[in-house]
Amino acid sequence: MQRSRLWDGITYAVLIFLAFICVAPILWTFLTSIKYETDIVTREMVYWPTRFTFDHYVKLWNQSSYPILVANSLVVTSVTVAICLLTGTIASYAFSRFQFRGRTELMLAYLVVRMFPAVLMIIPLFVVMRQVGLLDSRIGLAIAYTSFLLPLFVWMMKGFFDAAPKELESAARIDGSTRLGAMLRIVMPIARNGVLATCIFVAIAAWNEFLFALMLTTSQGSRTWPVGLQLMVGEFQLPWGMLAAGGMISILPVVVLFALVQRAMVAGIAAGAVKG
Amino acid sequence: MFPYARGPMTTRPTPRPKSIWHAINPVRMIGDLSETRYWMYLLLLPSALLITAVVLYPTVYGMQMSFREMRLNRPDLGTGFVGLKHYERMINDPIFWLSLKNTAVWVTFSIILEFAIGLIAALALHRNLPGTRILAVMILLPYFLPNVVAGHMWALMLDPRLGVINDLLFKVGLIDGYRAWFAEPGTAMAAAIVVEAWHSFPFFTLLILAGLKGIPTDLYKAASIDGASALAQLRLITLPMLKTIIAAAVILRVIGLVNSPDLLLVLTSGGPGRSTQVLSLYAFQTAYKDFNFGYAGALSVVMFVLLMLFAWAYIRLSRVNQE
Repeated sequence: MQRSRLWDGITYAVLIFLAFICVAPILWTFLTSIKYETDIVTREMVYWPTRFTFDHYVKLWNQSSYPILVANSLVVTSVTVAICLLTGTIASYAFSRFQFRGRTELMLAYLVVRMFPAVLMIIPLFVVMRQVGLLDSRIGLAIAYTSFLLPLFVWMMKGFFDAAPKELESAARIDGSTRLGAMLRIVMPIARNGVLATCIFVAIAAWNEFLFALMLTTSQGSRTWPVGLQLMVGEFQLPWGMLAAGGMISILPVVVLFALVQRAMVAGIAAGAVKG
Repeated sequence: MFPYARGPMTTRPTPRPKSIWHAINPVRMIGDLSETRYWMYLLLLPSALLITAVVLYPTVYGMQMSFREMRLNRPDLGTGFVGLKHYERMINDPIFWLSLKNTAVWVTFSIILEFAIGLIAALALHRNLPGTRILAVMILLPYFLPNVVAGHMWALMLDPRLGVINDLLFKVGLIDGYRAWFAEPGTAMAAAIVVEAWHSFPFFTLLILAGLKGIPTDLYKAASIDGASALAQLRLITLPMLKTIIAAAVILRVIGLVNSPDLLLVLTSGGPGRSTQVLSLYAFQTAYKDFNFGYAGALSVVMFVLLMLFAWAYIRLSRVNQE
């Protein structure tokens, strides 16, 4: 009993320490984003300012192109999720429910494509997209994102389908439903939470993506927020307040979505990685 | 699977005259299609086509590009076949070898740190003490944050003039004066690895936590009856049972670390000097600063081959596939 008390204490200490390390940079960034410029750039570090301001947020939203960047990111993210949802759900369903020739090889292929270096793919994508006129477009960027997010989606979604009981489906088939009917009316409603978690995971990844966006977009019409935020560093003399405000705005949806579906999402990521 | 299995069993109602709508109804047509033996291939077709178009084709294109001259800023050179020219250049390119060495350092230390912290966090969370659920959410959060924001958060905290970490370390007395962590060749790589570890250790936590749930508790009960200490249980039960999952996590993380230069691009862009120049960053800069797509392609191909070799050797050595 004595020993387990000791271990409990150590466990709490470790977890609280780690949680603090994980959250502290976010809190510090938030604090910076609501400080006055004179409290950020000081000789003596200001830990808890006496006054707060939302000027950085207002300035970022009204005087820079940030709203456009965020809107572009929203479009790219939605299109990416839509493509993954339409093509990936049925593919993962096929992997989960049917035995057929080439199944193992194909599943392995979906895993191996994740090993391809991004740079190796981006250069030809740049050349090809320039030829077909998709360079510097939001649709083009979303299609490029599916290159690494669709395999991920399929693997994660397969795990959720595997977990859905097959008996109900068999029952529906015996009652005369087609395979299509069983898939749409029985399996999809059961796997609904899994679909949601997988979509949110893909959405977060697309929303956060930086490298493809940096290389495949060149103008404000399609540039996403991570690229815009990075370019701000060069434009002004390190505007920490605005950078912090931009960072906070853009991680807000991520934090909210993650907090909402973290349990299903975490289970899905683990299942997708482990079975691979 | 057995399209004829229910044939003789069901008594079909007497066929009614079918309307034209029945013949052209798309839902019925797809429904009928779903009863054929090609259904699963049809389900796989869209994603397979897409992956062929956006992954396989560009990769093959990129590989053959590495045997060609391809400079966007020198169209006069054309795009002719140059054989192994780029690969020969690479052997004599000191920056390539330095990048390779930096990549090894970057990957090795990041993985060690991420695995160690990830394991500790997972073991602690697995004890499921009351009130730790909220801590779990906080601990897993960094992994889902964008590289760009993670980079800027830490750049702000490690800033040579305004950085809070400098101030804290100075007040505690660990350093004599504020330091420019990312501007000194001696500390830039270490600082970047700390940021990377902060960002990605939750990936290990997440996977190990899932693995821990699959270990039967009887094993631990039996071990403690036999008098095994907590440390012995960790070494003799937990780690061996987690072997597959740890191997999968390490491979996925190594792929991520080797392939994506994002975080280093934000933090240091390879500097100061070339002290944080890794292979992926070098390939990226060759393509987008020098516009030398041929050489960048060759660098990426070498990176890919090394990664494949690593994955193969690692799986063989950890003998995951024997189980």
